[in-house]
Amino acid sequence: MGNVVALANTQNTQDEISNSIFDIMHILNYEPKDPVNTVAIKPNLCYYWNAATGYTTDARVVAGIIDYVRDIFGKNTSIRVVESDATAMRTKHAFTMLGYRKLADEKNVELFNLSKDNIVEKEVTVNGRKINYKIPCSLLETDLFINVPKLKLMRETKITCAMKNIFGCIASPRKVVYHPFLNEAIIGINKILQPHLTIVDGVIASAFFPVKLGLIMASTDVFSIDWISSQIMRYEPSRIEYLRLARKEKVGDPNGITILGEEINSFREIFPERSVGNSNWWWNLQFKLLRLYSSIVGDIIPPILDRI
Amino acid sequence: MFKVGIIGLGHIGMLHMRNCKYIDNVKVVAVADNSKRPLKKAENDGVEHIYNDYHDLFSDSNDIDSVIISLPNFLHFDCIQLALESGLNVFVEKPMANTVEECRKIVKLVEKSGRKLMVGHTMRFYEAIEKMKEEESKGRIGDLEVVTLEAITNGPFTHPAVPKRVPEWWFDPDKAGGGVLLDIGYHLIDLFRLFVGDSNVIFSSLDFKFNLPIEDGAIVILRSSNSSTKGIINLGWYQKLIFPQNNFRCILHGNSGYLSSDDLVPKNMYIHAVKEGTKNFFRKITGKKIRYLYYTYYYEAFYKELVHFFDCIKHDRETEISASEGLKNMEIIEEAYDFFNKNRLAE
Repeated sequence: MGNVVALANTQNTQDEISNSIFDIMHILNYEPKDPVNTVAIKPNLCYYWNAATGYTTDARVVAGIIDYVRDIFGKNTSIRVVESDATAMRTKHAFTMLGYRKLADEKNVELFNLSKDNIVEKEVTVNGRKINYKIPCSLLETDLFINVPKLKLMRETKITCAMKNIFGCIASPRKVVYHPFLNEAIIGINKILQPHLTIVDGVIASAFFPVKLGLIMASTDVFSIDWISSQIMRYEPSRIEYLRLARKEKVGDPNGITILGEEINSFREIFPERSVGNSNWWWNLQFKLLRLYSSIVGDIIPPILDRI
Repeated sequence: MFKVGIIGLGHIGMLHMRNCKYIDNVKVVAVADNSKRPLKKAENDGVEHIYNDYHDLFSDSNDIDSVIISLPNFLHFDCIQLALESGLNVFVEKPMANTVEECRKIVKLVEKSGRKLMVGHTMRFYEAIEKMKEEESKGRIGDLEVVTLEAITNGPFTHPAVPKRVPEWWFDPDKAGGGVLLDIGYHLIDLFRLFVGDSNVIFSSLDFKFNLPIEDGAIVILRSSNSSTKGIINLGWYQKLIFPQNNFRCILHGNSGYLSSDDLVPKNMYIHAVKEGTKNFFRKITGKKIRYLYYTYYYEAFYKELVHFFDCIKHDRETEISASEGLKNMEIIEEAYDFFNKNRLAE
């Protein structure tokens, strides 16, 4: 079942989202190997911009997943919604601002900051580079680890979805230190942490602006999710550096990915064509030109335009 | 030569430090901040006196005559008091202080000290606002009936090119003093007063979309104390914007026409930057003075307000936004908070 990816249409309402999650899990026919008593749900709360911007996981998707978990594994299943602090984001504020505290009260689940968890230090080698991580122990111990990423474009990696959301599990807040070797860092963390399930919130995706995509996608394999996500976001997967690296490092294999449910094209057609203005090279070129201009003319660069 | 101390080296404090380097007869000789990184930058920039506590900047003998205060809101009053008691001129970022009571004390301290104090109302120095004020003063649109002012931003949640943590004090209502009404509203209320004069609040509604104890949206209606002119102020912190996007506009509705900042701000900021950058290049090679920061359009105002501040000290003139102006803006803000809270209780 490792290479099955299920896609479902959804609408922008709680009922529709919840129904789509139940439908897609039925299509995926997921059955855990061991009994499930504890569940960790990891949304993508990378900043304080809410789900309507396309940047963060919609609390309604997590609500639907909580209902599904309780329906399948029993009402007494212990559920934690987890996230770790990031360079520019503090989990406690993101939980408040993005509606997760309200969700936790309504659904009686725990909100947990992975940066405050017991930590185990691990080192992995990717592409000849040794990378160290601080790993939250609870993710290694939970019976069911559900990854709930967003479908987004990102300048540094072109696309971001399931594998990048696992990068967000690293306990240390200053993840920006990994950015000079981000592709390797994404693969490294995915060698250590493997979620049992990934359910993608593609209700509103981001193409640097919000896109009503109406997609819920699920798989047990993060690589397969990102391979398909890349195609939905109009990128040839083999040209995404971290996916290429994942194949090389044997973290994922695109051969034999089976798509169930809706067709990729129905979502790909909605996703906008990419713009040169949003590409990483153009972004970096602007900063270089600005620095060049400033050094020749002697004009001031405001700190908001500082790249370094 | 003005010898300046900069207190608080966050985003705006760093901008002031850079700007001071390009203002004639101004030299930054001291800085204070509690973070090592910006202090290191200042040291590398040749600043002589480096402090990690601003109290030391005042007690040390460093020969400064003016300070620029860019501290978190809750520290403004203490720092202004120390500066004025030390006989220094003060430029302070808005808000002047967190309460009307503190602002009243500051007004008295300024009178007693005989020093200059200016509040950083950058929006008054936007080129569009300067042009609108000039046209309105000439009677170009007749009697001013309604002023609409809008600024929907991401406030403290604005994401710079390299992600930076939102300072923790913004989440503490006692330290922040308020939300978008105090942060951006302070600017827009000041602009309304620039065009209309003294005013009162006739309606105020606050929003809390972020579930924080400070407001992230506000709509305030003001009325001139001297005429029937009204102002509609629409504020927000809820919009994901990345510079050069700037969702700000000011419209003056007169009985003989209107003026809108949208007609005066460059339509395409990238084209504007290239055009103005090219003009500066030719100014440079022909030995003329360049126009600093105009390629960014909005950031030029930060440069101009400091030039104005030092010019006022040099010529012993009152600054455009004095302590008493800062107090009046704060009185309106407290009135707007009171209006909302009374109505919320009534509901």
